[in-house]
Amino acid sequence: MASVSSLAASLNPATPADAVARAELREIDASAKWPVIVFLLSGLVWLLVGSGFALVSSIKLHTPEFLGDYEWLTFGRARTAHLNSVVYGWSMNVAFAVAFWLMARLSRAQLRHAGVLIMAACFWNLGVTIGIIGILAGDSTSIEWLEIPPYATPLLFVAYALIGVWAVITFRFRKSEHIYVSQWYLLAALFWFPWLYSIAQIMLIFEPARGTVQALVNWWFAHNVLGLWFTPIGLAAAYYFIPKVLGKPIHSYYLSVLGFWSLAIFYNWAGVHHLIGGPVPAWVLSAGIAASLMMVIPVVVTAINHHLTMVGSFSALRYSPTLRFVVFGAVNYTLVSLTGSAMAIRSFNEITHFTHFTVAHAHQGMYAFFTMVMFGAVYYILPRILLKEWPSAALIRTHFWAAAIGVTLYWLDLSVGGWIQGSEMNNANIAFIDVVQHTIPWLFVRSVAGIVMTIGHLAFAVNIGWMLCARQPAGATAPTLFRPPPAMPVGSVP
Amino acid sequence: MSTDPSSDLRLDQAGASDEQLQRVHAILLREKPEPTEGLSPLPLMLLGLMSALILFSAIYLGRYSGGFDPMVYDERILPGMLEGGAAPAVQDPKMLGKRVFANCIACHQPTGLGLPGAYPPLAGSEWAIGPDERIIRILLDGLSGPITVKNTQFNNSMPAFGTQLRDEQLANVLTYVRSEWGNSAPAVTADRVKQIRAAVTGRTGPWSPEELLKIP
Repeated sequence: MASVSSLAASLNPATPADAVARAELREIDASAKWPVIVFLLSGLVWLLVGSGFALVSSIKLHTPEFLGDYEWLTFGRARTAHLNSVVYGWSMNVAFAVAFWLMARLSRAQLRHAGVLIMAACFWNLGVTIGIIGILAGDSTSIEWLEIPPYATPLLFVAYALIGVWAVITFRFRKSEHIYVSQWYLLAALFWFPWLYSIAQIMLIFEPARGTVQALVNWWFAHNVLGLWFTPIGLAAAYYFIPKVLGKPIHSYYLSVLGFWSLAIFYNWAGVHHLIGGPVPAWVLSAGIAASLMMVIPVVVTAINHHLTMVGSFSALRYSPTLRFVVFGAVNYTLVSLTGSAMAIRSFNEITHFTHFTVAHAHQGMYAFFTMVMFGAVYYILPRILLKEWPSAALIRTHFWAAAIGVTLYWLDLSVGGWIQGSEMNNANIAFIDVVQHTIPWLFVRSVAGIVMTIGHLAFAVNIGWMLCARQPAGATAPTLFRPPPAMPVGSVP
Repeated sequence: MSTDPSSDLRLDQAGASDEQLQRVHAILLREKPEPTEGLSPLPLMLLGLMSALILFSAIYLGRYSGGFDPMVYDERILPGMLEGGAAPAVQDPKMLGKRVFANCIACHQPTGLGLPGAYPPLAGSEWAIGPDERIIRILLDGLSGPITVKNTQFNNSMPAFGTQLRDEQLANVLTYVRSEWGNSAPAVTADRVKQIRAAVTGRTGPWSPEELLKIP
């Protein structure tokens, strides 16, 4: 039968072996098609919903009477709905899509029984939908990052169990002998997330711990879900796409090992630095601060590994959408992590804690790093599973520049505004109401930045919808790039 | 939703159509090989950075962990600092009393001047700075009836605080009242309040000024 690998081999008896290997990848892509599409489209819907809630809550901060008559859109609910729809809706769904595709490809194993994953996707999105409606109805648990009411979380557990087990099964059936660095990160994250989520649910919601232990568990979870779930998924994608698009090996295997294990050892201690100044034994905080400083090691190591792979190939950023998004994310990973280590230092934290500086930091991590890498991954994956090209380079360009400019503006604006806010709050001669009023211009710029990012999301959504609906254009096989690459030998283009 | 690529109609057709064949072929060929890892050695400066970080973090952890004592919440406290040498920080009873005085400001005012005609002043009041036996009794059980303060007659009633405030709180607030606004009477100790509380056990209802004046 016309399996593509045999087809490729039959085209020309002299077909090189790597062409056959690449044809095998095509079969793997086909096996992952429907789960990836379902997770990705659900994620896309949540991205748009989350952007809407983001704008509502952002505008309310400088214009409090905006939509003031709707109980379900009060700031506490809209902001919480924003966080949960972009984290559990967009980020988790797109992380699942990318993780499955990467895991299947790197393991050289087809995704088996994809129907189970589609069922898991339905459970997951049903859980998130009930959760968001619950939050808007006022049932939030009021525990940061775990606001989804307890009646929705069991659905998420069931869904995750299916998803996690399926990814591990895919790894178990691997045909590749070598385990690539992206697989280490994916596999570790697949075990870390259920551990974090179940411990946090049990110790905070179902069988609450007493006293400050609750705060410790809360920040252990909320910080680790970034560092031990989203970060590894984002890094796995960056470790895959940078060398893949450039067609050259990642800089150093030894750096990859060092980066992975130092992240695994140090990150899970770091979350308690959110409680600096709180009623927590001094040694717990100091241990968290020391671990946050030690996080400089994996960050610098990963930065060297990614950025030295890029050296000499920066011109590829001019035409490859995937590479441009992923490298933007990788650079921001370096920046956000070093800022994070600095923010854990007590004297720095005294200024930035409880200010918009922290908000800027969170968005740099979740958006400028993680989400941008995921956008890049989607631009690579979708043409391969749909066997169609992106319909519009202009929309990709709009998406990139809107997202990049929007989030950079957001980050700069709230970092500076937050720093001023923190310095003023530490000054006993400035009344609190004045400090609040001084933040208004910064908050206004934040809304503008949010609108710019949302324009990018709309361009992304239109492009995906267009791509799904478009009939396969006959004969058109050139990838959609920002501009033609300088010299284009066959087989050199993403 | 098929997982078997051979059942994909497009791929079947690919064998039959030149256009499709070229298309699949081109998509296959344009992709670079799967990523691999280079074997560049670790840069030497990384070793320096790691050593510096480990050294700094270890010193930080040792210096700011309060001897890993679960009861030490202030990272500036070194182990052994509390035992032996320096006495634990003692809080100023007058400052603590100022907080308790929040119970009193509605009538006696933050200035201690009271409200003329309604509530007597504490600043310079012969009752406030007089013998502590009387003023402690007023706080414990309240006061009712006409009273003369600084040559002015007042007729009102003061509620009892004996049940809602502890001995230390009563002592602290009296210490505050007796040393603020120019008053300079001796401080009142918690033991003194305890002693008087024991002496008036069983009393119900407020004191009258006549009763108090009989106490030396």
